[in-house]
Amino acid sequence: MLAENDAPTATWGIFADGEVANFLFAAIFIGLIYYMISRARAGMPIPEIRKMAGLDALDEAIGRATEMGRPVHYSPGISPVDNAQTIAAFAMLSYVAKTCAQYDTRLIQTNRNIFVHAVNEEIVKQAYLEAGRPDAHNPDDVRWISQFQFAYTAGVIGIFARERPAANIMYGSFFAESMLILEVGDMIGAVQIGATAQTAQLPFFMAAADYTLIGEEMYAASAYMSREPVLRGTVVGQDLARIIIFAIIVIGTIVQHIDPEENPFTWFLREF
Amino acid sequence: MRKELPLLLTTVFGLIVVFSKWFYLGEVWGLHDIAESWVLISQGFAVAIGAASLTRIHGRNIQRRREDWPYSLVLLVCMYFYIILTLYQTVEGTEARWIYDAYITPVGSALFGTIAFYITSAAYRVFRVRTREATVLMIFAVVTMLGMAPIGDVMISGWGDLARWLQDVPVGAVTRGILIAGYIGALATGMRIVLGLERAHLGGFTGG
Repeated sequence: MLAENDAPTATWGIFADGEVANFLFAAIFIGLIYYMISRARAGMPIPEIRKMAGLDALDEAIGRATEMGRPVHYSPGISPVDNAQTIAAFAMLSYVAKTCAQYDTRLIQTNRNIFVHAVNEEIVKQAYLEAGRPDAHNPDDVRWISQFQFAYTAGVIGIFARERPAANIMYGSFFAESMLILEVGDMIGAVQIGATAQTAQLPFFMAAADYTLIGEEMYAASAYMSREPVLRGTVVGQDLARIIIFAIIVIGTIVQHIDPEENPFTWFLREF
Repeated sequence: MRKELPLLLTTVFGLIVVFSKWFYLGEVWGLHDIAESWVLISQGFAVAIGAASLTRIHGRNIQRRREDWPYSLVLLVCMYFYIILTLYQTVEGTEARWIYDAYITPVGSALFGTIAFYITSAAYRVFRVRTREATVLMIFAVVTMLGMAPIGDVMISGWGDLARWLQDVPVGAVTRGILIAGYIGALATGMRIVLGLERAHLGGFTGG
């Protein structure tokens, strides 16, 4: 129980203090996505998702590994299971594992977080089952390496040196280890596909990987790869939300320049 | 049922977190803190799963005398030695602390230090002027690097200010743009999971 002076305060009787603006934004956003999902379900046209080279290159990279008889390495980053980037990485792993199973290519999947490892074990097993190749699934290829960032890095580098994967897919939340892994990947001649929303790591991905998915592109990947209209509807909804935010930023900037004291956006965010 | 129950749990706990974040009652009831403490408790069990996984993989390497099996032996001996030591002494024990401070921390720092060399080799590849984009990248990198180093201002007065402006204004604007777009993407991913549209975390690719 909270002490009396620590007790939270309410806005309009029901909202947590300072959360009204967040709630309203999310409500508008959910409404937009729901509208797009409904359109998709009703068979009405919704905009296509633009081509993403990094995702189109996935099959090519796995195919190359198949031809070379070398494995594919997949890392979901080093963040825990509650990180949105890690969750996006689950969908991509599912696709990669299924494709590897279909091509009969070995997939080495490494993890730093033990929860992520547990989820990934299940994803890979299920993907091989769905591909009709449960016999090809090797549980030892889904590996938990270490909870320590650089021990994980050293483990992945060691795997690169010994197993020499022909494709390295790094999809998720990465930190300082990204540069080390990508450069060793380049040294062994692997095709490298990176995706992260960590802005500090994006330059490294751009420099060292062959293809990079930037920020929101990684969240749209599952919809892009599945081609399912309902999932595509959510991506279109989030794009509309971006347009609205962009409009608010432009209008807010103009209003701020005209009359900084009476900017309704500032007032709304301060009050709610 | 194999997928329905986890899906239901995902939705329920997703809604609990949303409820406790936005609504007054959720905050008063402290639901978010309760859910977080459950995560911490289950993390304790998860570490045991990790140790079991390592034992299985490396135990098999040793048993079948696979290539480089002595390294697997070293790993298992070190891991179990440290587990037993910390169970006996706790992590604050003299020897346990010494092993951590004298071995694990310096090895991690050493590996971190090698990033500088890797950055150099990656930068060399990127800065080879092959395309228009690479040329622009190289020009901006040179301006920023020299501007951030003392030599920039010595060569041309105001170079440092230009480099800092590049960092603060164009780079800052783009970074924020990526961040905002990323947060919206993360929100959409969360929504897809809470609504049960995204099920990849339960195994099996949606569609495809």
